[in-house]
Amino acid sequence: MAMDTGKMSNFLEMTGLVKTFTGATALQDVSLNVAKGEVVCLIGPSGCGKSTLLRTANWLTPADAGEVRLDGELVGTMPDQRSASKQAKGLNAVRARIGMVFQNFNVWPHLNVLENVVCPQMVVAKRSRNEAEKKALVALSEVGLEDKKSEWPDNLSGGQKQRLAIARVLAMDPDLMLLDEPTSALDPELVSGVLAVLKRLAEKNMTMIIVTHELGFASSVADRIVFLEGGHIIEQGPPDVILQSPATERLKLFLDKLNITAFQPKSD
Amino acid sequence: MSIDLSIFTNYGPQLLLGFWMTIKIVVAAIILGMPFGLVLALGRRSRFVFIRLLASSFIEIFRNTPFIIQVFMFFYVLPFYGLYLPAEYVGVVALAAFGSAYFAEVIRGGIDAVAKGQLESARATGMSDWQAMRYIVLPQTLPIILPAMTNQTLSLVKESAILSTITVGELTMAAITVQGETFRPFEAFIMVALLYWALNETLAIIMRRVERKVSKRSSGGSRAVPAVSAVKDG
Repeated sequence: MAMDTGKMSNFLEMTGLVKTFTGATALQDVSLNVAKGEVVCLIGPSGCGKSTLLRTANWLTPADAGEVRLDGELVGTMPDQRSASKQAKGLNAVRARIGMVFQNFNVWPHLNVLENVVCPQMVVAKRSRNEAEKKALVALSEVGLEDKKSEWPDNLSGGQKQRLAIARVLAMDPDLMLLDEPTSALDPELVSGVLAVLKRLAEKNMTMIIVTHELGFASSVADRIVFLEGGHIIEQGPPDVILQSPATERLKLFLDKLNITAFQPKSD
Repeated sequence: MSIDLSIFTNYGPQLLLGFWMTIKIVVAAIILGMPFGLVLALGRRSRFVFIRLLASSFIEIFRNTPFIIQVFMFFYVLPFYGLYLPAEYVGVVALAAFGSAYFAEVIRGGIDAVAKGQLESARATGMSDWQAMRYIVLPQTLPIILPAMTNQTLSLVKESAILSTITVGELTMAAITVQGETFRPFEAFIMVALLYWALNETLAIIMRRVERKVSKRSSGGSRAVPAVSAVKDG
C-alpha cells in the first residue's frame, strides 16, 4: 500500500517520545507516523522498546516527553498543560477509537464471551444492550467464535481467548488497532488461527501496529516493518527490503539470530 | 458450683433484648462501614495526593489504636464540641469507623490481587478508572475478599461488646446488669457467650454458602450474568 511514509497524510503521529523506566531507557526520542490503512510491524530484540512504543500510542504507558496524536486529536503529551480531568476525559474519548490486544489476552473471566464484547460497548460507547449484542455477534463471527457466545473465557483455548480479545476490540469500530505480541503466549498450533484473523483485518484496510516475532507473518501483512534497538528506530521500510537486504549491521545480526530459514517474502 | 436455671427463665428476656440491640448495632455498622471501606480503599489509589493522604491516615489511625480508646474519643470528646448523640448512635458510628478501616484493607488487597492486565485492558477500551473498577476489577475482587470480609464481620460482632463501656444497652451490658442483680456471673456470662457464638456461627454458615455461590459463578458456572444490566443507557 503506502511505502513512502514521508509524503503520506499521517493518521497516527508519535513525535519525540522519550520514556525512562527506573534505570533503563526504553525510548530515546522516537518518532513514528502511521497512515490510515497502514499495517506497521514493530520488531527488535526484547527490551528494545517496541512494546513501550506501542503502549505509548494509547498512553497506557505515558511518555516522559513527546506527543501522540490520532487524526490530529491529542492522545497524550508531556508536559501536559491541561487540567487532570480534561486530560482524563480526552484520553478516554480517544482510547475508545483505539483498540488494544495484549500478549496474555486479558479477557475478563467474570463475564461470558458475549458479555466480554458487550460490556465496553455499553459502558464506553453508550450503546443499548440490543445494539451492543448485535454488534458483538457480528464481531464474534468475524473471529469464528459465534458458537461460543455463552461460553466462559476459562473454558476457551489460548487462541480462542485471543480471538475473543480481538472481537472485543472490533465491536468498538476502532480506527486503529494496537497488538502487543498477539501470538507469543500461544501454543504453536493455535497461532495460525489468530494470524488468519489479523490477515483478514489487514486486507480490510484496518490500521494496525503489531509488535511481533513472527517475521513470516510480518512480511505477509505489513506495509512497513520498523526495527528498534536500544530505544531507537534503527531501520524501517517495506518488508522485502527490511528482511531481504537489511542496511544496518544490527538488523542483520538480529535477523541472523532469529534463524529465519523458513521465511517467505510477501508474494502479492 | 451449681447452675441456677431460673436465671435463664427470669432474665432471658432482658438478655434477648440486649442481643437484639447488638444485632441492630452490628448490622447498622456493617451497612455504613462496608461502603465506606470501599470508598477508603478507592481513595487510597486516587490520583489526588490529598485524597490518598486522607484515606490512608484514616485507615492507619483506626487500625493502629485500641477500639476502646476510639469509643471513648467518640463518646466523651464529641460533647466538648457540642455534639451530643445517644450512646447507641455513637456506638454505631465508632464500630462503623473501626470496621471500615479493616474492610478497606481487605478490599485493597482484593483489588491488588486482580491481575494488573485486567485494569489495563479495561482502561484501553476507554473506560474511566471508576468504570474499569466498577465493571471489570471489583466484580473479580468479590470472591477473593469474601472469606476475609467474613472474618472482619465476625470480629466486629465481638468488638461490639466494648460498647457496653459507654452505656449502650447491648448484650454484654445486659449480662453485666443481670450479673449485678443476681450475683450469678456464671449463668449470666455463659448465656451471653452462647448468644455471641450462635450469632457468629450463623453468620459464618451463611457466608460460606455465599462464598460457594460466588466462587462457582466466577470460575465459569452455567449462568450468564450480564454485568452491565444496570447501565441502561449510560
